[in-house]
Amino acid sequence: MSTISIESVTKRFPNGFEALKGISTDIAAGSFTVILGPSGAGKSTLLRLLNGLETPSDGSVTIDGETLEKATLRKMRSSVAMVFQQFNLVERLSVVTNVLTGRLAHRSWVGSVFYLFRNEDMDIAQETLARVGLTDKAWSRVDKLSGGQQQRVGIARALAQRPKVILADEPVASLDPVASEEIMGLLREICDRDGITVVVNLHQVDLARRFADRIIGMNSGKIVFDGSPKHMTQSVMRTIYQREDIEDDNSLDLALAYA
Amino acid sequence: MTIVSILRWPTPNGLPSPPLVASLCAVLTTMWLTAPLVEVDFVRLLGSLGKMAAFAGQLFVEPDWAYLPQLLVKMLETIEMTFLATMIAVVVSLPLGLLAARNATPHVLVYRLTRDLLSLMRALPELVWALVFVSAVGLGPLPGVMALAFVTIGFMGKFFAEAIEVIDHKPVEGVRAHGAGWLQVRMFAMLPQALPDFVGTVMYILDHNLRAATILGLVGAGGIGYDLVMSMRLFQYDRLLLIALAIYLVVTLLDRLSDLLRSRIIHGARA
Repeated sequence: MSTISIESVTKRFPNGFEALKGISTDIAAGSFTVILGPSGAGKSTLLRLLNGLETPSDGSVTIDGETLEKATLRKMRSSVAMVFQQFNLVERLSVVTNVLTGRLAHRSWVGSVFYLFRNEDMDIAQETLARVGLTDKAWSRVDKLSGGQQQRVGIARALAQRPKVILADEPVASLDPVASEEIMGLLREICDRDGITVVVNLHQVDLARRFADRIIGMNSGKIVFDGSPKHMTQSVMRTIYQREDIEDDNSLDLALAYA
Repeated sequence: MTIVSILRWPTPNGLPSPPLVASLCAVLTTMWLTAPLVEVDFVRLLGSLGKMAAFAGQLFVEPDWAYLPQLLVKMLETIEMTFLATMIAVVVSLPLGLLAARNATPHVLVYRLTRDLLSLMRALPELVWALVFVSAVGLGPLPGVMALAFVTIGFMGKFFAEAIEVIDHKPVEGVRAHGAGWLQVRMFAMLPQALPDFVGTVMYILDHNLRAATILGLVGAGGIGYDLVMSMRLFQYDRLLLIALAIYLVVTLLDRLSDLLRSRIIHGARA
């Protein structure tokens, strides 16, 4: 059973740049998928399309049997959570308020004008904070936290939403190796324990190999590899990371040898 | 070791840039040519130094202590007018500011209309609005409060809109991506980011409004202004001294308060 279904999606930006050139794939419910590819391959655009932060120029995105369009956007977003590279938290609010913003999709605007939530929302927020190990930081302001802690707040916010899908756009790109390991472990555990579908964009090939069920390789807006981590051979990596402007392949090989 | 170091400007040829020199010359020439038109006459200014000293000398009198109770009442009225007008303006300018910010407005037409409305409100100074409201609702502090609130809405709506326009877009996207609605995104992602700037503006406006409120009495719109003008006209320097000191004291206290509040908002409460 597939949760996410992407059908011949293309994305052209107003400046004429074609970020996605006809992508079609299905992502199975409860799976852990990593998307790899060089910068500018269209990984972020693809992920943002799945959350409706971008709309496709052609083709369609279907999540859980419902096609993503303007009318269904808010409802869809309530079941698709997103974790960002730069965390995208509201730094001036407390940790727990940021987590509570994950509940906004389920609440009307009336209470929001007065910053009011329900008690059960607070219970959910506390529970997800405990899940990411930040119970003691609940009332701190977000800008007082380290990068790794902020990303865990981001994950708690995503979980508070009770989503079916979590999209993570380079969630560890701003973090040190130890924090990266923690965050990836957390996402994997969420996938395994809660059965939430996780899709992660990554630049770290070794993390992709260790955590993913399935790896999708992208280059220049197309899918160039799709398979399990054990099929990621050296030649596959060269296909994923090749660039037109690299004349000799030495630098590519050298870079990938340690990846 | 060089004894004389040659001075130069940080330009390729070491000379000041021609456009800068040209505009400086233009400004100075304009000032020199226009000064007589507005009767700025340095000889006369020097000549009146004696009169100024005499006036200042008259302020060294024993304050009229009997006037103190009335001063306190009038000062309190001025402060009340200031705070009330500013509070009304805060409440009204928050939604108007949202509508007038390019990145928060529901439609570009709403944005334009709100901007125009705000500039209309601050186009005339408080004193002129006070005249309008005095003829509309009669003498007393009420037209004063209305005039102050009116101009303040015009200013704060604009300041708030501009504070929203420079916020970081990433948190907005973060909150939006989790399915928050139109108003929720504005309440939870935009407002907290624009708030420190907004509070800073409110503090500045409060200070400005207090000074504006002291003069509204001139047209019968309440506050200390009436007493201030009357004591000037009747040469009651013993009262004038007290009034000036009281205004200075309140403005200074307000300044301290605003520094305190602002640093708390920006750096958070010290836990």
